[in-house]
Amino acid sequence: MTTQPVSYESAVERLEEIIKRLDTGEAGLRETLDLCREGRELIEYSAGELDAVGKGLEELKLDELIERLEGAAQ
Amino acid sequence: MTSDPLTTGADARPAGIDGYPGPFPVGRYAAGLRERLREFAHVCVLGEASGVRFGRGPNVYFELRDGDGGIPCAMWRDDFDRSGLTEQDFRDGVEVVAAGGCDYYPGGATASPRFSFRVKQLKLAGEGDLLVQLEQLRRRLAEEGLFERQKLLARPALPKRIGVVTAETGAARRDFLAGLERRGWHGTIVWGYAPVQDRRAAGAIARAIQDLAVVGEVETIVVTRGGGSIADLWAFCDETLCRTVALLPVPVISAVGHHVDRTLIDDVAAVCCSTPTHAAEAAVAVDCTAARGLLLDHARRVDKRGRAAVLDRARALAALSRAPRDRVAAHRTHLHQKAREMRAASRRWLALRRDNQRRMAAQDIDRKREAAAATVVTGRARLNARAAALTRAADALEARRREALRSHGAAIRGHDPERALERGYAIALGPDGTPLGSAAAVREARDFELRMADGLVPARVREEEGE
Repeated sequence: MTTQPVSYESAVERLEEIIKRLDTGEAGLRETLDLCREGRELIEYSAGELDAVGKGLEELKLDELIERLEGAAQ
Repeated sequence: MTSDPLTTGADARPAGIDGYPGPFPVGRYAAGLRERLREFAHVCVLGEASGVRFGRGPNVYFELRDGDGGIPCAMWRDDFDRSGLTEQDFRDGVEVVAAGGCDYYPGGATASPRFSFRVKQLKLAGEGDLLVQLEQLRRRLAEEGLFERQKLLARPALPKRIGVVTAETGAARRDFLAGLERRGWHGTIVWGYAPVQDRRAAGAIARAIQDLAVVGEVETIVVTRGGGSIADLWAFCDETLCRTVALLPVPVISAVGHHVDRTLIDDVAAVCCSTPTHAAEAAVAVDCTAARGLLLDHARRVDKRGRAAVLDRARALAALSRAPRDRVAAHRTHLHQKAREMRAASRRWLALRRDNQRRMAAQDIDRKREAAAATVVTGRARLNARAAALTRAADALEARRREALRSHGAAIRGHDPERALERGYAIALGPDGTPLGSAAAVREARDFELRMADGLVPARVREEEGE
């Protein structure tokens, strides 16, 4: 059972640990399959984080955000 | 009557404007203005230096300021050197007393006109109040531990939403965006535009930072502006602003001024950067383009290792199932190989042995031939020696025999009957010519011959003798 990573950098760090362990060839079949499953989850998470900052620059103005919030509150 | 230098030469031909003299040629008017300004009394002025520039030209430029205003100043480099100050002494923020008077540079076709206070002499009046105040505030905030709070905050390497406080029209905004573009980052920016230089700046920046943290839901806040004098950057040394930043739960990255400028917000911020571009790289620590490539590589490796773990074991199992048959086949192959090797070894051994025997026989024959040759040589020498010895012995024997023969000859000649005959003796010869050796034989023969040295003489035994 793997836990959801708290950040992109922690996900990448754990992913690199997993690959390092897999590259040693010392992991047994069960451990290898568990590591691969965890690695795929981390890759999916990291890819999602990268996708979130890769779809196109969005520029917002703070003043407009405040106005919008104030308008919604009234 | 003295002429006014400002209106001298008012011979302008184009029509002017009612109520105003002229029009005058502006260059001539500027020259007149310079003359008029130079007539102002030369005085000493007291103020804080800012924007001090030592260029390659002959002038040192700076501004003198206090709380009520300031004037641009220029000083010939020779005059500055004579003042006894160095470039290290004369920097932004120092309070100085400058002696000189008003001057005006009329400019030219390509040079801009400029007013300046032409400083002839200069001396330090002690550290500037602004810098003293700044140092006192810096020490106080440091003692309160406000420089450390921001640095303890976790800063995301890949924020999705970044808040930026800067001037709406400044170059810092463009440079920051360029830095993000280089990172390949295309998330969300919330711009908190604020004045960054005037007396309203500090409060506006503090409000923008607080609003960004609350309303903008940003993960990182960047505060940035371009370079300037310490007076220009003074808003970023404001105590309220710095306390706001220090206590903010969102990490703040400051990029105020150039690398030589150090404002108080730089000390309280989580990260202090020298340029807006650098701030962009600090805000997004991950190079997104490279990270995508790296992630793809990671995905391939995980996938490859996973498949390999299963496939390798499946292959191992399959290999195990084939093991007995393969084992026998391997042994058979091994035995065949060994048999071939043995046959080959045998052939090699026989050939080797034959070669050795041939070589040894040849060597034996050679040795014997050499020995025989040596024996022949020795025998030949020995035979030669013996032949020589035999020759010598034969010669000696011959000599001895000759001598003996000669001696025997002499002896024989001594006994030769012929010699006795020569001395007058005679030999009685029987009828058959046989010597008659005794008187009886002569008597018996009766007739005989006497051989004398010089011939035969017939003889007869007398009768009475014969009876």
